Amino acid sequence: MTKAAPLTLDVRPELRAGGEPFPRIMLAAASLEPGQALRLLATFEPIPLYAVLGRKGLAHRAIHHGEADWEILFTPETSAPPAPPPPRATSGSHSGDGSGWPEPKQSLDNRGLQPPEPMVRILSALEMLAAGEVIEAWNDREPLLLYPELEARGAAIQVRQGTTGVRLLIRRGA
Amino acid sequence: MTATSDRLSRWTPAMFAAALLNLGLGLLLPVLGVGWPAQPATGPISLAVVHLLTIGWLTLLMFGALFQFVPVITSRKLPSQALPLVTLLGVESGLVLMVGGFCALGHWAWVARLLPVGGGLVIVALLVGGATLLVPLAAKRPVPLSARFVLAGLGFLLLTILLGLSFALALTVPATGPALAPLLTDGVGYHVLAGLGGWFTLTAIGVSYELLPMFMLAPHERGALGAAVLWAGVGGFLAALTAGLAGSVWPVGWLAALEQVGRLGIVLALGLYLADVVRLYRSRRRRQIELHNRAAIGAFVALGLAMLLAVGAVVTDRLAALAPSLVLLVLLGWLSGLGLTQLYKVVAFLSWLSRYGGRLGRGPVPRVQDLVNEPRSVGFFVLYFASVAVAAGAAAFELSDVIRAALACALLAVLLLAREYTRAWRAVYARGAPAAPARSPTLPGPQGVRR
Repeated sequence: MTKAAPLTLDVRPELRAGGEPFPRIMLAAASLEPGQALRLLATFEPIPLYAVLGRKGLAHRAIHHGEADWEILFTPETSAPPAPPPPRATSGSHSGDGSGWPEPKQSLDNRGLQPPEPMVRILSALEMLAAGEVIEAWNDREPLLLYPELEARGAAIQVRQGTTGVRLLIRRGA
Repeated sequence: MTATSDRLSRWTPAMFAAALLNLGLGLLLPVLGVGWPAQPATGPISLAVVHLLTIGWLTLLMFGALFQFVPVITSRKLPSQALPLVTLLGVESGLVLMVGGFCALGHWAWVARLLPVGGGLVIVALLVGGATLLVPLAAKRPVPLSARFVLAGLGFLLLTILLGLSFALALTVPATGPALAPLLTDGVGYHVLAGLGGWFTLTAIGVSYELLPMFMLAPHERGALGAAVLWAGVGGFLAALTAGLAGSVWPVGWLAALEQVGRLGIVLALGLYLADVVRLYRSRRRRQIELHNRAAIGAFVALGLAMLLAVGAVVTDRLAALAPSLVLLVLLGWLSGLGLTQLYKVVAFLSWLSRYGGRLGRGPVPRVQDLVNEPRSVGFFVLYFASVAVAAGAAAFELSDVIRAALACALLAVLLLAREYTRAWRAVYARGAPAAPARSPTLPGPQGVRR
């Protein structure tokens, strides 16, 4: 397979002007040919983007050239994008097999966020749900400090360890 | 007003407060001329001060932290929230008796017997604390790397306190003298190695492997390097201690050789650990390092310097002369330094969790960072580590006045830091901070990116 040259996207001018290049980046990522890499130039390391593009099967390599000068190469992983991870039920009240729960209303990607930010985002999203509704969240690690908060709010959680993080399904109680 | 809730290990804040009081006292006494450097380093008053620092400060700090974090790393509850109080009260009252016993050594034989009585009380309190921690630690499968270090550390704690009790009995109960005399001549070094090395250092490594990746967003799995640190460290301390102790009663060549192998294992473990810490800082995904982890570099440098000094002292046969510098670097630089820096984050985090945990998602709450004032605290950490460095340097040349002045500066830094911990605990800074805007919990936008 012949590989096309990387597609270069320079979002630094837009960032310096206070713009929001996220949609452009996603469009560029969607327009990549099979096997083609995306070369992104930015003014900071776009950590949350790694998780977003990682789920599209793009691995990242960041080079810090200097102050406010980052180059990130997103290359297609040779293997297929990771399949949904095998279930791994944890012990205690926060276990389950996912059966009988409705489809998640919303998906949060909390990877790359510093504690307690993942917990704050999950609880904020939870408060917007109606009783019985479910959200999905991806975290870097098992959210052990979240469990007591969920318990106090009568919410249930299912935890599955994946290769690229921990997948949580959280259902609001009645 | 204090922050408490069932999100916290109930007695952990009290243990931290008691530990800091003991640290302050342990620094104040030498500044006032009580104990080393004004008096001999191995004199009874100096030993009283050292035990204020090791039992009163570091052991209480470690247990306070472990009661809070072992349930988190094992996702299992402690069997009781009351048993930590037994540990706190037992350690504090036992320590008071021990200090009294040390001060009476050589003067009032009967009062000196408080030493083994107090030591026994400390042992019972620590066994209760250790058993409380073992319940969740033993139930978790597979055992996480950080928990393995803690388990090993608790094992060496047992060895340390049993050795200490033997000394206390040999010193104060004449009938036990003949049986325990060989220990008194050679054993003190092993007591120090088991305590500062096996117990504190291995446990501190385990706790650091949990806290550093968490707040720097570095890979949590330490792989082969982390496993090598564990096995070289545990094997090294075990070989050096058992072969050394056995060799002091039964001096044969192969035991001495095994002790040397053990010492090499310790050096290897600490070298690998420091290399892994460098790897951990470099692989962090968070560009900005928070103050507590920037300041912790001072503790890692102290550990590296202590290691080099220990190797140099053994090679040049100057261990006795350099022992005070070495103990200062390990006790105040590495262990207390790591403890003071991590407390800065831990206190703010626990305060935030207990104050705002129930309100999360239901309205604006301050961020954890709003509970501390990092620019104000930078200088306090610099003052602390610089003072310890000066004290350790001056100790090598027996400059008693310089050591005392440096320890006075370290005490000032500790007092200023303790005031910052108190402010974080009472959320003093958060009252002035604007409440964080409620964030829309969507896929990462710019607000999640620019940090």
